[in-house]
Amino acid sequence: MIEARHLTKNYGSNRAVDDLSFDVQSGVVTGFLGPNGSGKSTTLRMILGLDHPSSGTVLIDGANYHDLRWPLREVGALIEAKAVHPGRSARMHLWALAQTNSIPKDRVEEVLEIVGLSGVAKRKVGKFSLGMSQRLGIATALLGDPGVLLFDEPINGLDPEGILWVRNLLKSLADEGRTIFFSSHLMSEMSQTATNLVVIGRGRLIADTSVEDFIASNAEQTVRIDAVRLEELITALKQAGATVRTTDEGVDVAGLEPVQIGEIALAGGIALRELTPQTASLEEVFMELTSESSEYTSTQDAEGGA
Amino acid sequence: MSPLTAPKGRRAGLRQQIASEFTKMRSVRSTWVVLGTMIVISLGFAVLFPAIIANGWHDRSAAERVNFDPVSVTQFGIIFGQLVIAVFAVLFITPEFSSGSIRGTLAALPRRRNVLAAKAIVLGGATLVVTEILSFASFFLGRAILLAFGGQAVTGQLTLAEQIKATHAPVYAITTSGVAQAIFGGGLYLTLIALFALGMGFILRSTPGSIALFVALLLIIPGVLQALPRSISNAIQPKMPSNLGAAMTSVHQRTTDFGGQLLAPWPAAALMAAYCVVLLGLGLWLFSRRDA
Repeated sequence: MIEARHLTKNYGSNRAVDDLSFDVQSGVVTGFLGPNGSGKSTTLRMILGLDHPSSGTVLIDGANYHDLRWPLREVGALIEAKAVHPGRSARMHLWALAQTNSIPKDRVEEVLEIVGLSGVAKRKVGKFSLGMSQRLGIATALLGDPGVLLFDEPINGLDPEGILWVRNLLKSLADEGRTIFFSSHLMSEMSQTATNLVVIGRGRLIADTSVEDFIASNAEQTVRIDAVRLEELITALKQAGATVRTTDEGVDVAGLEPVQIGEIALAGGIALRELTPQTASLEEVFMELTSESSEYTSTQDAEGGA
Repeated sequence: MSPLTAPKGRRAGLRQQIASEFTKMRSVRSTWVVLGTMIVISLGFAVLFPAIIANGWHDRSAAERVNFDPVSVTQFGIIFGQLVIAVFAVLFITPEFSSGSIRGTLAALPRRRNVLAAKAIVLGGATLVVTEILSFASFFLGRAILLAFGGQAVTGQLTLAEQIKATHAPVYAITTSGVAQAIFGGGLYLTLIALFALGMGFILRSTPGSIALFVALLLIIPGVLQALPRSISNAIQPKMPSNLGAAMTSVHQRTTDFGGQLLAPWPAAALMAAYCVVLLGLGLWLFSRRDA
């Protein structure tokens, strides 16, 4: 379990992480979601004791990272896939790290096998593709068979097969009772892999909840309608307190349940052609929530571009 | 996955990190390139300089003869090799900063003091073993070349007056007082240079930056200092690292190439060690405070 309390990190006058508090439970995959530049990597570095928080604390199973007796056996992390000496072989890279925590040499071969790099173990990591580097980073995280695993953007650079592999790996690690915390700026990845979510924007906590609740409580439930005398129905719905939005795709009604819409249509003698409840995807919810907190928002209208 | 066996020992610390750093050192090609280069430079100059000096002894002026040192003459390659050793030392740390792999290192051992200490111990230990072997090999090879090119074996130390009057380049035995110590000084100097450069690497965190500063400090500043009034220059020159190296490998206390009298060997070694303590201390202070 990871407990972050009031984590704050300033770089000069720029506040990268702002009073961030959240818990990461064991036994489930927790996603760490936020746009690029929202402070995800800084937070992960603070969990690992690499960056010193300006204020606040973060504990791993109740202990400060610096006080862990065998850090790699308790916490495994993929921070940056390419953060390896390019001239060293994958095997020697892992072996050097294994030695720091008295991890036996057999384990190096084992994790190379798990991530599918046994065949290229002797090759210099500078010649690795991004996908292979990601696999090496995951091998590094698994080296100490730790109970807590942190992955920063683990699917970056992976092919579809690799992405599927990572998803299943994260889930199976969580099923073994481990604490899994992985970051991504891809909302779709979260809905596929994570059970719980920590969402941040501009370093601030936006949500700390389950993926299901996150969508349910934040998504605006709308109903797509079409009718014979559509304009007349819209007027009646507005009078009943609904918000009506007309787009190219159709007419969406918010603030009324489908049953109520049906009753209003019946009262007006209007025949409905369509009455479809719409559930926002995680992606839409996320965009909605972070649009105001995104550090780098394009001022150009997205529709005007490609 | 099969569960890991419990580790031996109380917690991850210096001993584990030393093993790791040694693995890192031997698993990159630059280490072996440096070793090969050091062998070629040290032994090459141990042939070249003694040959030239012994051969041309008759034509040497009194001033040049005063500047002749029977051990130092075999250790030119060792002193020239300081740049190679400095690059080696810098490359032992700065790529971890530039690649970001220092984060992996520190995630595995968060106690930064132990990381720096392990690097210093592994670098210092490996450099000492290799450079001492090369220092002594250079002496014996250089001595054989001196004799082959007209040098004359002498027993005991000659005074500088005797050295000026000598008809042949004097060749010392290793048993002569001060000789073994001066040869040992060659390897010791390079070891301290390695720690000096390691400290600069921890401070600057950049490969080109650290190497540029090292070159400036050892090769450029001594020349620039000559522009200062002679009294000031002569006071500073002997305390520059390269002149400390000359002092540590000399039997005689000679003048330096840029003026000023060389220090005695042990005070020179002590001052060089003090530089290393200051640089590594500052490096540790910054390393502990900075974000990785």
